[in-house]
Amino acid sequence: MGIEGPFWRAIAVFRIASVVYAAVLLLRAGGYAHPVTGWIVIGVMAFWTGIATLAYAQPGVRGWPLLVLDLLTAVGCLLATPYVQGSLATPGTMPITATWVAAPVLAWGVHKGRRAGAVSAALVSAADLWLRAPGFDLATVPVNGAVLLFMAGVVIGHVAQLAKQAEARMQRAVEIEAAGRERERLARGIHDSVLQVLALVQRRGAEIGGEAAELGRLAGEQEAVLRELVRSGPRPERAPRRRLIPARRPASAAPQDLADLSDALRRYGSARVTVATPAEPVTLPRRTVEELVAAVGNALDNVRRHCGPRARAWILVEDAGERAIVTVRDDGPGIPEGRLAEAAAEGRLGVSQSIQGRIADLGGTVSILSSPDGTEIEMSVPSGLS
Amino acid sequence: MVDDHPMWREGVARDLAEAGYEIVATTGEGRQALRIAAAVRPELVVLDLQLPDLPGVEVARGLGASEHPPRVLVLSASGEQDDVLEAVKAGASGYLVKSASREEFLDAVKRTADGDAVFTPGLAGLVLGEYRRLAARPATTPEDDGPRLTDRETEVLRLVAKGLSYRQIAERLVLSHRTVQNHVQNTLSKLQLHNRVELVRYAIEKGLADLDG
Repeated sequence: MGIEGPFWRAIAVFRIASVVYAAVLLLRAGGYAHPVTGWIVIGVMAFWTGIATLAYAQPGVRGWPLLVLDLLTAVGCLLATPYVQGSLATPGTMPITATWVAAPVLAWGVHKGRRAGAVSAALVSAADLWLRAPGFDLATVPVNGAVLLFMAGVVIGHVAQLAKQAEARMQRAVEIEAAGRERERLARGIHDSVLQVLALVQRRGAEIGGEAAELGRLAGEQEAVLRELVRSGPRPERAPRRRLIPARRPASAAPQDLADLSDALRRYGSARVTVATPAEPVTLPRRTVEELVAAVGNALDNVRRHCGPRARAWILVEDAGERAIVTVRDDGPGIPEGRLAEAAAEGRLGVSQSIQGRIADLGGTVSILSSPDGTEIEMSVPSGLS
Repeated sequence: MVDDHPMWREGVARDLAEAGYEIVATTGEGRQALRIAAAVRPELVVLDLQLPDLPGVEVARGLGASEHPPRVLVLSASGEQDDVLEAVKAGASGYLVKSASREEFLDAVKRTADGDAVFTPGLAGLVLGEYRRLAARPATTPEDDGPRLTDRETEVLRLVAKGLSYRQIAERLVLSHRTVQNHVQNTLSKLQLHNRVELVRYAIEKGLADLDG
């Protein structure tokens, strides 16, 4: 059916209404000079209206033969006017077909575009003007009808073309999206296989030891990176329905610019850094997310500096409703008591101070807990959602 | 042992056999896994979530609903968050990423076989989030506002999510190792129970709706 369907239905309605209108005109005129001929013409019009309505509904039948036949029928009925109205016809009277002759013009426009609409309008107008030829005089001949016909043919043709183009583009967008989804699905399977192999190499490498252990470690690092990529990639089954054609406006134009904290922090995940988050996104204002990500980055730098490159770290993201809590823990030796205060007294801005600064700017709090199990930095910020 | 990757299946099966476990069946397909499980009644199923024919979550659900539900240890390569949470809610009692070492894996199998919950920090984070989500959503019925964690359970779960071992948690909270284990186990049992109740309620509502209609 496609986008043309509604146009054809509208034209069918127009045809039927026009036939009724023509019949009413014939009745009110008392049948003009030759009522029998008049009703025969109306009958032909009604018959063709039925045929055309059925024929145009079939996409396979639409084409030049039908369009030409449609136009010829309309012009034929139009040219029958003198035989119905006779010499009684006064200048300015509607022909017997009334508005019905516009139907093929609309059909040409819808099916073949605005040029075809203009051509068919010209043909019908020519027939109309020829009818009035005996007393041809620009002052009395209503050019209105011709102008309206042209406008109808061209405007409808143009609109139909636009609609068809839009439909084609939509169709393409749908196809592209489907192809993208399929690619994503295939990629998931491949990624999974690669992950399996990497995990296996890592595991066996560690067991064999020596150089194989080094290979295993490299495989493990790549495995963590790929796992993160797979996880943070688009997941159509959970994502809210995406628009087929992306909006022009950039996302930053939204009333409140939001981001998912979990998603942003997962990029820190690696073989040595574990990120634990809720399954649901933790949505916060983008600036808050950026500051938290930077603060966590500072904390991880700190871990690397004080506990060595082999230290492990854990990041926990919690959504406590009005507050979001991010905890960074390491398994290093912990901070010696008084070390923080000492650093501050010496006027040095330790990394923990810069973390505290960032979080305080967001209206949040930082608590640092040091134990033999390692150091825990807990950052709690208001979620700040209006 | 359910895993579509032959290399893994063999490797893991070998590890388990060496550790003294009896492998009753291995398969790479979910539907087959359910059929085999019904026939051979394994005590423990090691389940990969990414299977070619049936989502691993469905397999976990099917195993949980069987007459003799086996314990299920989920082993996943990609760590798909939602899948892991769903599998655990459906009855799996342990979860491990495939990059875990052989010792970690064998330890996880042993603990799962003993009926203990095996949590990674990642899974603890998911479970914490799930309880918060359940607490935050509007109550479906006045008498049931969903499962709640006790303060102690929340505390323990947070420590697990921060990567502390059960031993470290026990030391920090001055509890026995067993008690920590029980707390973790409880968080999971409550969630699974809630999930089953929800399923039954859903089924009843559907049934009643059908009768009405």
